[in-house]
Amino acid sequence: MSSNPEKNPPNRPGNVYLAVVLAWLVPGSGHALLGLWKRAALFFGVVLATLAIGCSLEGRMSWVWQGSPIDTLLTLGGLGSGLPALVLRFVFQYEGTLEAAGYEYGGAFVVTAGLMNILLVLDTWDIYHGRKE
Amino acid sequence: MSHFQLMVLYATTVSLFFSVLWRREPKQQVLLFLQIFFGMIGGAVALGWLMYFFPSGPPAPIP
Repeated sequence: MSSNPEKNPPNRPGNVYLAVVLAWLVPGSGHALLGLWKRAALFFGVVLATLAIGCSLEGRMSWVWQGSPIDTLLTLGGLGSGLPALVLRFVFQYEGTLEAAGYEYGGAFVVTAGLMNILLVLDTWDIYHGRKE
Repeated sequence: MSHFQLMVLYATTVSLFFSVLWRREPKQQVLLFLQIFFGMIGGAVALGWLMYFFPSGPPAPIP
């Protein structure tokens, strides 16, 4: 049996649902809870960097719950970043700048950061249940 | 930043993310990073050249 903590997570939090919610709120925290610190740090950095690039371009952060399904999906995707997205939205009232050159391109970065974090949540679930290393 | 620079930046973050998510060994991670990165950049450039044969028409009228 390998003792590599990156392959065999030593920690397994009691409540997987708590781990999943934490993983959504703070990118990489799900992996950190499982003891996969290197991966957690890298995921945290990549997701936040992607979100930061999107915001620096003044990219769109949708907040549409009715109307076009695409806009609703963009909203859900953007919210995937968890706490950083919520803070941006509700503390800084960030929604991007329509007139900015990077509104669309930056919006792609913002949504991608959210989608990355959703994949991390699913990855946390799989690792917890032993379906993945 | 130009569109191309932004595309390279985007490809870098996405490639880095998926190479660590999908592979465990460092060598395999580097290989997958290069595959995704150059796949995205090369694919976008190839698509851009293909679009040369389908020029855009006149702008749509403003309603």
